Amino acid sequence: MSELVSKPFLLDADAAKAYEAGVEGPPRRTPRVNIHTDDAAARKAGFRAPIAGGEQTYAVMANFIVDSFGLDFLRGGRLEAALVKPVFYGDTLTMHARAIEHGDRRLQLEVWAENQLGERVLIGTARVPKQIA
Amino acid sequence: MADQEKRALMCPDNVHQGLKLGPIFYVVKAEQIDAFARGTSSTNPLFTKDHIAPPTMRLQDYALLIATHFYGGSGGVHAKHWNEFHAPMRAGQTVKTEGRITRTERKRGKFYFELEYETRDASTDELLVRQAITSVLLVEGKIA
Repeated sequence: MSELVSKPFLLDADAAKAYEAGVEGPPRRTPRVNIHTDDAAARKAGFRAPIAGGEQTYAVMANFIVDSFGLDFLRGGRLEAALVKPVFYGDTLTMHARAIEHGDRRLQLEVWAENQLGERVLIGTARVPKQIA
Repeated sequence: MADQEKRALMCPDNVHQGLKLGPIFYVVKAEQIDAFARGTSSTNPLFTKDHIAPPTMRLQDYALLIATHFYGGSGGVHAKHWNEFHAPMRAGQTVKTEGRITRTERKRGKFYFELEYETRDASTDELLVRQAITSVLLVEGKIA
């Protein structure tokens, strides 16, 4: 299996807002104003733009594996990843996967997400059941 | 305020290995699947037509579990995740999620904890997903 690469994903303020609409968190008494939501708060903390929540990058990676290997990833698959660099609003991400081990019953992948500068922002591994690999 | 008084402050002194959180129950909604797919620019028909939940759609259940036991201490850097997928989660399914603090650690002046949690079909008890986050706990905007 050669390296798999996703379509580019623009993670801007609109994409972050759309993602927020798709997750369910605890009710809040006041709107969140922090480095993830507010340009001024991000700049005050020394960042050039708000930082996207890492869970959104992780979600795009997980969806990419389903796109690549199908529904059975959800029947015995595993994903583990670390967020190693911030993703700023306006960054364009691509997801990558490369086989590193072909076992009898599963395929082990190295996975990573890159920004438009070629920097890795997420690194990890995934396991895909062999019958679908 | 009354609600807060029933719960503990989310701070390192109150976060212990072995602490159980939840359970919480909810019905998986087709509307959330659609919104989550939009938020990740996914057009995969498994999500958009078959209404199977995208793999990490309920990753944020950790926040709901924490809110069953704690208040305050908002913020945190969720540096690591893992998920084991056992069966697809589908729209209309009633599920139960519960979790446990599996590790705490002070390292270089920071307080880390790992919360492992799993979601099962509420009727059949079939395991759907087991997942975990590793987080740095922030208290009042400062790293604990």
